[in-house]
Amino acid sequence: MTSLKFAATLLLALAIPGVAGATDYAMQPAGSKLGFASTFQGQSFNGSFGKWTAAISYDASKLATSKFDVEVDLASVKTGDSDRDGALPGADFFNVAKFPKAHFVTTGFRQNGAQVIADGNLTLRGVTKPVSLDVTFKPQGTGATLDVSGSVKRLDFGVGGGEYADTSVIGADVKVNAHLVLTAK
Amino acid sequence: MSLRSTDRRWGSVAKFFHWTTALLIIGNGIFGLLMDLADTPMQKIGWLALHKSIGLTVLALFLLRLLWRMGDRRPAEDPAPRWQQLAAHTVHGVLYLLILALPLSGWWFNSIAGKPLQFFKMFNLPALVAANHDQRHVAHGVHEYLFWFLVLVLVLHVAGALKHHLVDRDNTLLRMLPFRRLRNDTPTQGER
Repeated sequence: MTSLKFAATLLLALAIPGVAGATDYAMQPAGSKLGFASTFQGQSFNGSFGKWTAAISYDASKLATSKFDVEVDLASVKTGDSDRDGALPGADFFNVAKFPKAHFVTTGFRQNGAQVIADGNLTLRGVTKPVSLDVTFKPQGTGATLDVSGSVKRLDFGVGGGEYADTSVIGADVKVNAHLVLTAK
Repeated sequence: MSLRSTDRRWGSVAKFFHWTTALLIIGNGIFGLLMDLADTPMQKIGWLALHKSIGLTVLALFLLRLLWRMGDRRPAEDPAPRWQQLAAHTVHGVLYLLILALPLSGWWFNSIAGKPLQFFKMFNLPALVAANHDQRHVAHGVHEYLFWFLVLVLVLHVAGALKHHLVDRDNTLLRMLPFRRLRNDTPTQGER
């Protein structure tokens, strides 16, 4: 086999799973939740976003063609504290006036033992950085549930920079977790 | 100067509790009233955290002071009319209640507001009650007016001490002051 022929065969082999791609799902807002957790003055708090969309293509046996594409309306943040909820959309934190949405899109999936990990890029506050999420996907009838979790460093994206950068007051790490109820398209 | 109180004067531990509490509670009260002068929200967060930590220190000192007082003797009272002794004791009792009530009402206010309570960035204390946004202003008012009440009672306390010192010219104030000799100071038994 010449190297050219080998390369062509390899390309074809890689392309075949793409022909029959992963299943496309629609996210059901009822029952789905996009949350996060961090700390303030030594106490943890939870927050969530009320408005977000997710385009999910997933098949555990076709990870190469699976894809997550999530868009979050940052102004819809709620953390159970009116002071904090007033501050988060402001220029010092999410700066929704200039950057109303956050966007996460996968660049690939990999298997780490039994755990599937989604690698992707998160664009938040005008900064794009790689973020990896643990994926737990459970088919249920024609639909599925999808749970993802990961961690981002808020200062990587300039969320709460300047005088808010003091991580002894506002935690450096923000744990992200989402539960999605999916129906097949 | 002994650690313990004697028949004639307060010991250095009692003096330490008295003056440290006085300094912290007055200073922290004024500090608390000035919170809105913070330039930025983060500065106010830092000031409030310090205010809360000092308040918790006052509370801890108060509890230690009660413990110490249980085992310490008290100097004999200088002669005064019965009503004045009664007034002094009442003022002392109310002051003790207020020294306890100020930090506790702050803790309660902080809980109502749903804010974290951290002691000098070292550890957190739990909320006393569940957060309730509607009661926030009431709780703030209770905390602030208790301080004004404390100022009022403090004026009586200081006026009494000064009256003893300047009019009666007795040892009531001197025996609580550090590094001062008493008037007509003849060491009694138990004091060196």
